[in-house]
Amino acid sequence: MHDFTVVVGVKQVPDADEVGLDPDTGRLDRASAPAVMNPPDRCALEAALSLKDAHAARVIAVTMGPPMATPVLREAVAMGCDDGVLITDRAFAGSDTWPTSLTLARVAEHLDADVVLCGEETTDSSTGQVPPGIAAHNGWAQLTYVEALDLRPEEGRVVAHRDVEGGYEVVAADLPVVVAVAFGSFEPRPAGLHRKLFAETEFDPRELSAADLGIEEEVGLAVSPTSVGGMETVQPVDRQGEVVDEVDDLLGPIREAVA
Amino acid sequence: MTETPNYDGKFDAIVVGAGLAGSAAALSMAKRGLSPLVIERGTSPGTKNVFGGVLYTPTIRELVDLDDAPLERYVAEKRFSMLSEADETALSLRPGEWHDEPHNDSFTVLRGEFDEWFAERAVDAGATLLTETTVTGLLRENGRIVGVGTDRPDGRIRAPYVVLAEGGNSLVTERADLKERESRDHVAVAVKEVLEFPAREGVIEDRFRLTDDAGAAYNYFGEGAVGEAFGGGFLYTNDDTVSVGVAYRLSDAAASGQRPEETLNRFKSHPAVAPLVRDARTVEYSAKTIPEGGIESVPDLVHDGAVLVGDTAGLVLNNGVHLEGTNMAVESGVHAGAAIATAARQGRTDAAALSGYPSALSRSFVVENLERYAWLQEAAVADRELLFAELPRAVADAGAEYFRMDRDSKERHADRARERLLDAVGGYTGAAKLAARYRKVIA
Ligand SMILES: Cc1cc2nc3c(=O)[nH]c(=O)nc-3n(C[C@H](O)[C@H](O)[C@H](O)COP(=O)(O)OP(=O)(O)OC[C@H]3O[C@@H](n4cnc5c(N)ncnc54)[C@H](O)[C@@H]3O)c2cc1C
Repeated sequence: MHDFTVVVGVKQVPDADEVGLDPDTGRLDRASAPAVMNPPDRCALEAALSLKDAHAARVIAVTMGPPMATPVLREAVAMGCDDGVLITDRAFAGSDTWPTSLTLARVAEHLDADVVLCGEETTDSSTGQVPPGIAAHNGWAQLTYVEALDLRPEEGRVVAHRDVEGGYEVVAADLPVVVAVAFGSFEPRPAGLHRKLFAETEFDPRELSAADLGIEEEVGLAVSPTSVGGMETVQPVDRQGEVVDEVDDLLGPIREAVA
Repeated sequence: MTETPNYDGKFDAIVVGAGLAGSAAALSMAKRGLSPLVIERGTSPGTKNVFGGVLYTPTIRELVDLDDAPLERYVAEKRFSMLSEADETALSLRPGEWHDEPHNDSFTVLRGEFDEWFAERAVDAGATLLTETTVTGLLRENGRIVGVGTDRPDGRIRAPYVVLAEGGNSLVTERADLKERESRDHVAVAVKEVLEFPAREGVIEDRFRLTDDAGAAYNYFGEGAVGEAFGGGFLYTNDDTVSVGVAYRLSDAAASGQRPEETLNRFKSHPAVAPLVRDARTVEYSAKTIPEGGIESVPDLVHDGAVLVGDTAGLVLNNGVHLEGTNMAVESGVHAGAAIATAARQGRTDAAALSGYPSALSRSFVVENLERYAWLQEAAVADRELLFAELPRAVADAGAEYFRMDRDSKERHADRARERLLDAVGGYTGAAKLAARYRKVIA
């Protein structure tokens, strides 16, 4: 029996290693990059599974996207998640971070989550707005840039280390809570052989639609407040430079500069 | 659903490696109603594969419909070229028939794409493919091979048969003592680059005199290709890239202390090669080994519960004139798969029950060709200085003499050309011996 439900948000993104600059045009070439799991989300998965290692928790991975995104759920189940949920609906098309976090907030409620874990941001849009958005929509606590996580069931709260400039702070939050995990702090575990086989050959995700969540009118492009004001390509400024032959010759200019 | 099922005994066979041999074996088994599991260490089949070139398709076309395959170009020209430090003497073959289907069953491919496509065909037929998983060892019980261990947690899995298709660098097979480590004299090191030509469209067609899907396979020998080593260089045209590489004996590579990438760079800057690769940008670089021990080095192909296929079994013909491994990999995979299916029907896993594989292989072109050319490699190694250094220079010099433009008579030119050649091979007796020794290449 599980006492806790941990929901992990994962997203499929173009592989940043393969998103090249087209050497001829200088533009980002995303189309040819294969789709992979957003790397920070793997840290969130690891954080979730470490909670499961210590407590009787059930871990459910959720992703919002077309059925094409199913592989990230398989990957999550291969790592050790108990289930995967695909939130998929044409109605979601064009959603920005507002309806997206609303949707995930409803899913968290729907699944009865005690803890929602997310990566700190996605590599394809880098807003970092979704985890706080989920917390805001549900009126739950939020912890961002979390490096270590201690679930204290008897106290009904979690204690976390948050990465802050120059060190970390220790904070506690009541459940339910939304946690954004600092990228790089939880080393994702490899999938077990038999678990991976199960995830890839037999596992099928549960599906939820906008109607299942009762939010058909609250998602999509029309209700997305983001508008792109325009794009500007910034030319790099020429930096002043000087080449010196001897290390000692550096000293004078440095003294001058700091004086 | 939180429970993880155990897959021991759920698959009929485990195939180690989703290269040509592995996928062919999987496809062959799946078509006979078995369900094989293919384990591949790369993120997708082919991503770890280095291959300079020409896929020979007589067997593979029987297995899959090549119309949808990611083939680059058909080989419309084969060119053999001798390089000394400064000269080139070449023979080019462009039979009209190669333009017609099935194009002499020779196509350039990029293995990253082709292997993935081919593995998908095995999956379509009923195989299961597991990527990003490295097989680290074999499981044995009473001397019989009963499964594999992998680098994953909970990483052991059992199945009645294991197909070892891990390529030339066959660590699992060697560690399990199913094969001796190849001596350095029997391994070639190969480095390859894929080049693209960003400057303009049509560079490849223009430089290699090609139209439409026609392609070229250039092979180079001699000092100008790989310096003082036994081996050669190659240039193959893909759709919009060119594969260029060198392959030479590992013992030479170690002895001369020459780094493979230096050898490749020297080859690329040879005066006869440089213009073909001018203004290119390298998009991929890779290195690998090629077994070239010939028939002598082929280990036992069947064991209790396991078979060896493709490069793992040393099935490569690499003798200077031919470099063929792709066709042998597929042929061996097909026969191995068929033999496993037969043994499975009898409920047996012992080596004797799998003997249909080695006997089918010895009736096929694979063993026939390997046996036929066993001597060539040895002879060519023994004559390396003559064949790779002396002769290319002599032929170039003789050509220069024969066509020399001055006020001497043609007869004098011909005499000098003949002298230069005879000088190189050791007179008429030497020439006759040489001809006798190598006549089997064509006779
Ligand atoms: C530079 C070069 C040029 C060549 N040119 C030609 C040519 O023009 N024509 C030709 O016919 N042949 C050519 N060959 C030979 C040809 O490439 C091989 O004979 C052929 O690829 C053999 O196929 P294979 O399936 O046995 O092995 P491979 O193609 O090497 O496949 C082995 C597979 O096993 C995987 N693997 C290895 N170890 C493990 C493990 N422990 N666990 C899981 N997976 C593993 C690898 O990632 C790989 O996908 C060339 C070879 C080289 C190196």
